[in-house]
Amino acid sequence: MASDTHLEGLRAEVRNWLVANAPKGWREARTHQDFFKSQRAWFLKLVEGGYAIPHWPAEWPGGGRSLAEQKVIYEELAAADAPRLLLSFVSTFHAFSTLEECGTEEQKKRYMPRILEGETWCQGFSEPNAGSDLAALKCKAERISRPDGDVYVINGQKVWSTMAQYADKCLLLVRTSSDGVKQAGITYLLMDMKAPGVSVRPIHQIQHDEEFAEIFLDNVEIPVSERVGEEGAGWAVAQATLASERGLTLMELSYRLRGSLYRVAKLIRDHGHENDQGILRDFGTLVTQVDSVCALADQFLNNRINGIERIGDASNVKNSYSRALRAYSLLGVRLGGMDEQYIAPITFGDLNTGNWMADYMNSYAWTIAGGSEEVQRNIIAERMLEMPREPKGWVL
Amino acid sequence: MIELNELIDAAQKAFPADQLSPARDASWQLVAEMGWLMIRVPEDDGGLGLGREASTAIHFEMGRVLASMPLIPAQLGLQAVIASPDLPDRASWIERLSAGEYAPLHMLPTKLTCTSDGLVSGTISGVFDADLAIAVVAKLPDAYALVPMDAAGVSIVERPAWDTSRRLFDVVLDGYQPDPSHILAKGDAEVRALHDTLSPEAHLALAADCLGGAAAALDMSVEYTKMRKQFDRPLAMFQALKHRAADLKTRIVAAEALLWNRVRDEEATVAQMGALKALAADVYQFVTEEAIQFHGGIGLTDEHPCHLFMKRAMLNLQLCGSSDLWKERTGREALASLA
Repeated sequence: MASDTHLEGLRAEVRNWLVANAPKGWREARTHQDFFKSQRAWFLKLVEGGYAIPHWPAEWPGGGRSLAEQKVIYEELAAADAPRLLLSFVSTFHAFSTLEECGTEEQKKRYMPRILEGETWCQGFSEPNAGSDLAALKCKAERISRPDGDVYVINGQKVWSTMAQYADKCLLLVRTSSDGVKQAGITYLLMDMKAPGVSVRPIHQIQHDEEFAEIFLDNVEIPVSERVGEEGAGWAVAQATLASERGLTLMELSYRLRGSLYRVAKLIRDHGHENDQGILRDFGTLVTQVDSVCALADQFLNNRINGIERIGDASNVKNSYSRALRAYSLLGVRLGGMDEQYIAPITFGDLNTGNWMADYMNSYAWTIAGGSEEVQRNIIAERMLEMPREPKGWVL
Repeated sequence: MIELNELIDAAQKAFPADQLSPARDASWQLVAEMGWLMIRVPEDDGGLGLGREASTAIHFEMGRVLASMPLIPAQLGLQAVIASPDLPDRASWIERLSAGEYAPLHMLPTKLTCTSDGLVSGTISGVFDADLAIAVVAKLPDAYALVPMDAAGVSIVERPAWDTSRRLFDVVLDGYQPDPSHILAKGDAEVRALHDTLSPEAHLALAADCLGGAAAALDMSVEYTKMRKQFDRPLAMFQALKHRAADLKTRIVAAEALLWNRVRDEEATVAQMGALKALAADVYQFVTEEAIQFHGGIGLTDEHPCHLFMKRAMLNLQLCGSSDLWKERTGREALASLA
């Protein structure tokens, strides 16, 4: 257990490093290319500084940090208003955890160094008919013998894959069998995004971003050596992927939301509402809501540091954060008035940009992605409040 | 932390969850015997010298069981005395109030007038359990003072409130002559300082009461939906109800996290504490509104305890300054700090 003095020492060290190294002006990125470039440069700088992968094991430079230390690093990144690591999120959390827990030694040796060099990964989980009900996925994989080693031949479609158009590798869930329960026939593969038969189509989103993409797979061949876990064990491996992130992101986001409240304050001043009781009241309510989300995220991580976690805790944090984010952007839209109704170019890399309509539309990402608000409610109700599940077997 | 757990265990044993609003006088006796009145009294003043965590944990538990004895106003009245170094006989007051005599803090605005010869008249409305009190800590014109209940020109009238877990009184002053030996704070600066000492304590205590009550009301509602069957299944199986219950849970835990954060935050401002209480009271109100809806018709009957939580939540909303005011002040403060 790290002592408080040790943690405060680390805090000072990270803070000083960030003063010297945190990039400025990163919100100005107006194209994905600029954004991609600045994200990559910042990631490599963090790797060099030793703060990019605090959750990795100690054998990796900058790894071996306790959760308490990770929390300090993320708090300081948020406090310094450094860019969030978006592009490397799937690689350093999802791909890492998957390989660390379920990968072969050879796979780890091959991919971990490439992740540290800035290789970009995406996630090929959701499908048009497998969203919240992920296990219903249908993307088909057939094993075929080849003289130089067996391959899986993949046909199907993936969707909502973040930044897939820029990714080098993909964490792919496919169906190798339709026998038994739907979870049983799922297999986990690592796919090269440059492989023949892979095509990516960015999705035009309502806020004029193209953060997500569809991936079409047409007779894509993936060597069996790229399988993680046994054939048919993909569902369990996917749990390792999804459990990789231990509340750090939501804490970081909550703190950054608090750090963005100045944008609402600026609107209040710019529009001369400094003495409007109603608006001050709504602002005070928002400030307190954001404070409570920060307190909850902080409590969640502190509990985890002390080895306490109940099923449903993370769902409460996520649903509180996403609603606060919605309320924040909605107040911005309201205070911004008619100005916000004219299209302004969006910027990349931040959730809270001050382009209020875009921020408002972006806030849906947190009520829909990463386990929708409704899925979280089911978890809270069924696992935490122990309300019974509906009986299975209902047929249309 | 072990101490805190022991305190919570003791509270749950003394006030079991299945006995809502236990009889006031016996509860008060029990509270005095368990030493809860001494919890926040500094060791130098003969008390236990425990911090905000301890009192907050107890108020949370007492909120859960809709405690009917006036522990919150008692603690605050005692803290007013403790914070008044110039009070004559301060030590004796502390000793008596720690041992079970009762001098509540009045937690609402007063409308009092003062004649040129210094006589005070008017009504101090909404004093908790004035029939048990030896004095009330009230804001007189230009001073905080202990107003003894047996002084000339002081009388009490009970006013039945919807919240039957509390008993509220008007303390009527009719030409009451304030006794200089009962003054706690005099003049604007002292009065403000005492207010700002007591206000965060009051808000923490009430926020804890609200969230304890909200947690109990949600538990009760969820249990009811598991037991009550319609359409050949427990109500709890309907997703429409599950999702509402889950949202209530989320709102409670977020407010509770802020409560414990502010308990430990020595830097929190008076307005931030007020905003915490406003949040907790809003959550309590909404949870109890939903609780009655979850219970259906039975929730509208007097025999079911559901309404008791709703009525306490409504009263809590009114105590210690309006929610609107605290939200606005928090907004104003945040605006100034985010220049």
